[in-house]
Amino acid sequence: MRKTPRPNFLLQWAFRLFLSPEESRAVSSELYELYEHRCTRDGARAAASWYRRQTLQFPFRLLIDRLRADRIACCADSSHRRNRLREKMRHFFGDLRVSTRSLLKTPGLSLTIVVTLGLGIGATSAVFAVIHAVMLNPLPYPQPDRLVQIYTDSPPNRWPLSVVDYQAIEDQQTTFESVAAYANRIVTFNRDDVAERIWSRFVTPGYFPILGITPLHGRAFVPEDAVPEAERTAVVSHGFWRDRLGADPDAIGRPIKLDGNDYRVIGVLPPGLGPLEARRQIFPILQMEPPQRKGPFYLGLIGRLRSGDELVVAEEELRTISRRLFPLWESSYEDRTATYGVRSLHEYIVGDVGTRLIILLGAVGFVLLLASTNAANLLLARGTERGRELSVRAALGASRGRLLQHLLSESALLAFTGATLGVLLTSVTIKSLAVTGTSFVPRAAEISLSGPVFWFTFAVTLGSVLLFGLIPSWQATRLELEHTLHTSSRGATGGPGTERARRMLVGFQFAIALPLLIGAGLLLASFTKLQRVDPGIDTDHLLTMRISLPRSTYEDPAAVDAFWDEVTGRIGALPGVVAAGHGSGRPPEEVDMLNNFNLEEKPTPSDQAEPVVPWPVVSPDYFRTLGIPLLKGRLFDERDRDGAPSVAVVDQAWTERFFPGEDPIGKRFHSGGCNEPDCPWTSVIGVVGDVKYMGLDVPAQGTVYEPQLQNTWWGQILFVRTTGDPASFLPAIRTIVREVDPALPIANVATMDELMQNALDSPRNLLSLIAGFASVALLLAAIGIYGVMSYFVQRHRRDIGIRLALGAGPRAVSRLIVGKGMRVVTLGVVVGVGVALVLTRFMTSILFEVSATDMTTFVGVTSGLLVTALIAVTLPARRAARVDPTTTLREE
Amino acid sequence: MGRETLGSFEHQILLTVLRLGGEAYSVPVVEELEERAGREVSQAAVFIVLRRLEKKGLVKSRLDDQTAKKTGRIRCYFKLTPLAMRRLKESRREMVRLWEGVETVLDKV
Repeated sequence: MRKTPRPNFLLQWAFRLFLSPEESRAVSSELYELYEHRCTRDGARAAASWYRRQTLQFPFRLLIDRLRADRIACCADSSHRRNRLREKMRHFFGDLRVSTRSLLKTPGLSLTIVVTLGLGIGATSAVFAVIHAVMLNPLPYPQPDRLVQIYTDSPPNRWPLSVVDYQAIEDQQTTFESVAAYANRIVTFNRDDVAERIWSRFVTPGYFPILGITPLHGRAFVPEDAVPEAERTAVVSHGFWRDRLGADPDAIGRPIKLDGNDYRVIGVLPPGLGPLEARRQIFPILQMEPPQRKGPFYLGLIGRLRSGDELVVAEEELRTISRRLFPLWESSYEDRTATYGVRSLHEYIVGDVGTRLIILLGAVGFVLLLASTNAANLLLARGTERGRELSVRAALGASRGRLLQHLLSESALLAFTGATLGVLLTSVTIKSLAVTGTSFVPRAAEISLSGPVFWFTFAVTLGSVLLFGLIPSWQATRLELEHTLHTSSRGATGGPGTERARRMLVGFQFAIALPLLIGAGLLLASFTKLQRVDPGIDTDHLLTMRISLPRSTYEDPAAVDAFWDEVTGRIGALPGVVAAGHGSGRPPEEVDMLNNFNLEEKPTPSDQAEPVVPWPVVSPDYFRTLGIPLLKGRLFDERDRDGAPSVAVVDQAWTERFFPGEDPIGKRFHSGGCNEPDCPWTSVIGVVGDVKYMGLDVPAQGTVYEPQLQNTWWGQILFVRTTGDPASFLPAIRTIVREVDPALPIANVATMDELMQNALDSPRNLLSLIAGFASVALLLAAIGIYGVMSYFVQRHRRDIGIRLALGAGPRAVSRLIVGKGMRVVTLGVVVGVGVALVLTRFMTSILFEVSATDMTTFVGVTSGLLVTALIAVTLPARRAARVDPTTTLREE
Repeated sequence: MGRETLGSFEHQILLTVLRLGGEAYSVPVVEELEERAGREVSQAAVFIVLRRLEKKGLVKSRLDDQTAKKTGRIRCYFKLTPLAMRRLKESRREMVRLWEGVETVLDKV
């Protein structure tokens, strides 16, 4: 089945509006039929472009057709109703014209409102677009709600599965239509003289049918491909076919080399796959040898539920299979608590990004609220200035409803101009996110300005019109006609009702700004703590890169050792290189293996899970190169070879966790679930400092290092410590590696400083976004209170003048103004603290070593806001104190 | 009452439906037209013109449920009415009369 191109929302909307449901179904079906014909005739790309053109033409042509029909109908039928509607439209357009003119008279004010609203609406819609694509939109596979992922469930951990697990589940399950296994691997692809690292996924034949994917060219896998003796075959992605096979239709059947093994290309996938395949370029067949033990655990499993079967039923059945399977493999697998777990594929793909997105949506929503309140405040001030104009209109016979309509049309004009700006902003953001966001947002490629996003923006805009337009319009039309017309123009600047409304709005602004500021404060505190985390190594002048030796050419462990001896020896001899080592873990968030073990002195009871810790396999020089200090015992050396007793180095956290207050040297354990009497013991020979392998925010749980010379690990990371700029040594290192083995690619090159920065990227991004929003909030709130109090002082110049004339000191007048302003602020802040206490709780999961109700942050941020408000209030207060009573009284 | 005029594209579509056996849905009409005209034809335009022709009483539409049951695809067939046949005959007669003796002039140009 070819992947259906998605009809855009405009098309769906036009079909709903202009066609009957049957017609609309027929047209969609015929459109798709012709699309398919064109795929076969012109290729997928041309067909997709044709389809896009058609989906744009349809709404447009249907609309023209309808208008034409209406014109004819309109001439024939001039009913009463139509006339009334026309009258209303005339009013509306009249209002719009007048509004445009009157808004253009105050360009500064209008622009401020449009820009702040535009930013607010744009940011809110952009975040919603992400949430819609990532969380609300179903996965782009047929019947996505029936797709699940199956894993080994050993709380609190979730593991992949072993071959034994996959085969048992496949044989015994009844709740799934089918299940399929896959294993992600980075393989070396050799073409001419170039060796490349390619993201691949080895899959069983059921994988593509489950996801409803059929190859564009060639065929998909059949069960015979998965037999271990069968010829190795591979299906390639559209991108791989285009870039590396020259988009050649004859590429089907072509032999290619992956990790030194021969494969035959049998199919090409269509472009634009779902999020599960997005980054994989090649899908070789997964052939499994009959397992000798339960392990290793490296398989991912997906399944399609039978229609009508529930997730819980499937889970129950999987548990039963697990119980049945356990006694058969007990000798190689002792963890009785582990069973199978199942979750929706959507949950698996989207992960925990939801919390961050919701927090972000909350933050932008608050900014939009603030922008709307700010606009309301500005319009209130403007509305009161226009009291006379409105009174004249009313005197000439305009009803209150008509005045309200007129003022609301102004707000609507402002809001929709803002929204247009916002939509532009959203579309730019979305385009850049779809390209750059793939690394930090799952399903980034699916983010688009779709129908729901459009309607959301529309609703948000309408909401903000009501919020910021209704209050000022209501206030403005409440002015008493007589009173306004009789009083002087100065006196006509708003009654006490307006003032109260403005003060309330400012108080509201503070109540919104504070939770945002506190949120930003908490993230900042958390980020600062994270930045101070010691990774346990010396991060300066350290270059790292991944070199994976293909098993097919380096089958003999001795060949692996020889390769590394030569490479590190030659690199170490380069001038400017202090040390070179290698290992299968790269701080601060990369380690190739986690392993379980069973201590000789403290064996794990058979009904409990063995402890699992990061397990880097390293060369003797690894510790010296990374600057990991030896605390006790000795490090690996030439003695620790294959054949010699198994040894391990552990870290401080491991010692404290398993042997607190004891000397761990000489302690022994079995590892990897091997618990037979003839399994070899591994002895601890040294203790080193703690190093972060699982991320900076994960507490140390103990690490076990094994020597590469005893435990061959083909994929390794090379570390080179230098005296000068580490990146400048890369060409020399490349040359050496190429001289030793020209077919080996070097991948993931990074200095340790870069890796440390990358580890902080995600929290830093969130912090800068929220801090940006919070700054806007602070600014808007400060401007708000300043504006209101300045206005208050201006309006009460006469009263102030009288007070001063009667002997009140300037200080007392100042105090009066400051007191009045700060009362509003304080009320807002009190409400804000309450709101913050409720809302920051949702941030708990993303804070590091900071409580969601952290006292220091709450007090610090609140006082900061109060001080800012005080400054903003003091300025008009000082102006009030400087009022000259004689001038003011004479003016009146 | 004066006859409603027939646009050139409307005319082309009527002829194509006739060529396809007097009854067709949009997909073969588009393909046949493209084949004959040698240019891309918009499916939207074809569909809308077919609807307009129905309003003029020149074609009659029906939804085909039989195919839907078999392939899951639903199609909207348009069949020429006797009125359309009459109009096509008339227009052909008119055209032939208008073309009489003009081909030779064109050949000289």
